[in-house]
Amino acid sequence: MADGKDSTYGIQEKDSMCSIQRKEQNKAIELKDVCINYRILNATSVQKSLFHKKEREIVFEAVRHVSFSVDEGGILGIIGRNGSGKSTLLRSIAGVFSPNAGEIDLKGHSVSLMALGVGFKDTLSGRENIVLSGMLLGFTEKQIREKMDEIIDFAEIGEFIDRPVRTYSSGMHSKLAFAITAMLETDIMLVDEVLSVGDERFRKKSLEKMNSLILDKKRTVIIVSHSMETLRELCDRVLWIHDGEVQEIGEPEEVLEHYVAFMSK
Amino acid sequence: MFNLTMIFLPAVLAWSIHIFLRPRETGRKKKLFYLAFYFILINTFTFAVSFLRGVKGLRFDGMTMTYKIKYLCMGCVWAVILPFFVGIFTDGKGRRQDIRKEIHKFYHDVRSYTRYAVWSARADLRAEVSNAYLDWLWWLIEPFCMMLIYTVIFGVIFKASEPYFPVFIFIGLTMWGFFSRCVSGSVNLIRSNRSIITRIYMPKFILLFSRMLVCGFKMMISFGVVVFMMLVFRVRPTVNIFGMIPILAVFFLFTFGLCNIFMHYGVYVNDLAYIVGIVLTMLMYLTGVFYDVGKRIPAPFGELMEKYNPVAFLISSMRGVLLYGKAPDWMMLGMWTLVSLLLTMVGVSTIYRNENAYVKVI
Repeated sequence: MADGKDSTYGIQEKDSMCSIQRKEQNKAIELKDVCINYRILNATSVQKSLFHKKEREIVFEAVRHVSFSVDEGGILGIIGRNGSGKSTLLRSIAGVFSPNAGEIDLKGHSVSLMALGVGFKDTLSGRENIVLSGMLLGFTEKQIREKMDEIIDFAEIGEFIDRPVRTYSSGMHSKLAFAITAMLETDIMLVDEVLSVGDERFRKKSLEKMNSLILDKKRTVIIVSHSMETLRELCDRVLWIHDGEVQEIGEPEEVLEHYVAFMSK
Repeated sequence: MFNLTMIFLPAVLAWSIHIFLRPRETGRKKKLFYLAFYFILINTFTFAVSFLRGVKGLRFDGMTMTYKIKYLCMGCVWAVILPFFVGIFTDGKGRRQDIRKEIHKFYHDVRSYTRYAVWSARADLRAEVSNAYLDWLWWLIEPFCMMLIYTVIFGVIFKASEPYFPVFIFIGLTMWGFFSRCVSGSVNLIRSNRSIITRIYMPKFILLFSRMLVCGFKMMISFGVVVFMMLVFRVRPTVNIFGMIPILAVFFLFTFGLCNIFMHYGVYVNDLAYIVGIVLTMLMYLTGVFYDVGKRIPAPFGELMEKYNPVAFLISSMRGVLLYGKAPDWMMLGMWTLVSLLLTMVGVSTIYRNENAYVKVI
């Protein structure tokens, strides 16, 4: 923790010459030259591994030399084509896997990832899943119990909360996922295309929640979305990733304009 | 002919395990080198053990069959263990430092995730019974019915009678059930928990730990039934009954280590589940769940199988402790403790080194 702070100040001193505006703010996330590879053809069978040993390995570089940083309390939007490495990047920031090269520094902040349709044990009830998710995010059982009602209220799934998660509709699924991550307050929140699900009412509510998070100076958010509106409304900066590389990063209006122009070509 | 087998088979076994562990290592020369290397290494180890036991030279003419088989078995045990260690020490620089780091990390992870594992196991148990008519009674009924079936088939039809036969079978079934459930479950464990591990980091062996707690809880209920049956059959308990605690501890540790390794290969090798199924069935009959391995199988083999098959050894020690007032063979128990510790170390270290890649493969 102490080391993280120190290095932050070091970087600030360097930066202060060029951006006086950001001088006061700490960096919450810092990525340096991050590369993530996928090995294709890694799952194999006994027969294959015994009789065909010289299998060529194809390495697919999903993310190449990406560096950026997010200020504490900032909201960064990530945009890009399907398969350009957005979700991969988000997962590695969440610590699901570490990058093959480069460095991801969270400065000791806690982090949670919210993604579509994942994160639950199907056979357990919603209530139990809330506790399990909370525990994995590093909360104690008592803290989770305190937040429980708030989460259930926000998720609006009624009596389904005591039924197994496998009986949920996909909308309920993501509503609950959103509620858990939004209410159990981790320092950094990673949102992967979740904002566009649920009915109109829930969407409005989650947007409001996101807006209140923006006002909260402690919370750092990264949003991956294909929705221009969402990004324009919420983010203070937007990152455009193309084929695993940073194409552009900057003010939302500017980047989104270039992106739209690029996509309609 | 058998002379050659007893010297070469363990080396070939170790060699195939080595190649299976590292399919990317190609080059004919290197492979031949490893075959020779294992051949020398294993025979040195085995000979050293038999030298300590008082056999001063290898003369094939005067050798008894028993000695040959013992030599082969010992060789095979080494063959299963050694490739993992060779793997560790040839895997590049700084491995020993890494091991220290891993032990530290393991300790830390166990401390911070145990609560999650216990809670998850409890929730799983609750979910399992919540939709069944007879609730948790199934955990009693299932092994009990199995015991009745096996008692009738083996006791009445095959006339395999031991003192306190139903209890004898019940102990075997209880422990075997735990072992086979853990092992067969571990192969698909990572895949079946995909939804959690793609979203958040957790040490993957915690999944296994939680699963083992579920199975272990069921085993404990069965042991409750064992106690009840011991009362019904008027088994006279002795002080040795406390031997069950170390036996269970070693059993748990051994299963944990083994399952870690299966869990790892289960991610990469799609058809491992079939192999594990076959091997488990075979092992079940070799383990003596419903007969006494030591007595039923002809002289040298029975005793050997009881000693060199860890599950059989632990089951028969458990029976000895609970039913016949025999103290466990502490020497063997110590050896299997050591092997279990090594297995756990190798398993956990394999998991740590590869868990990064799991999410990308599944």
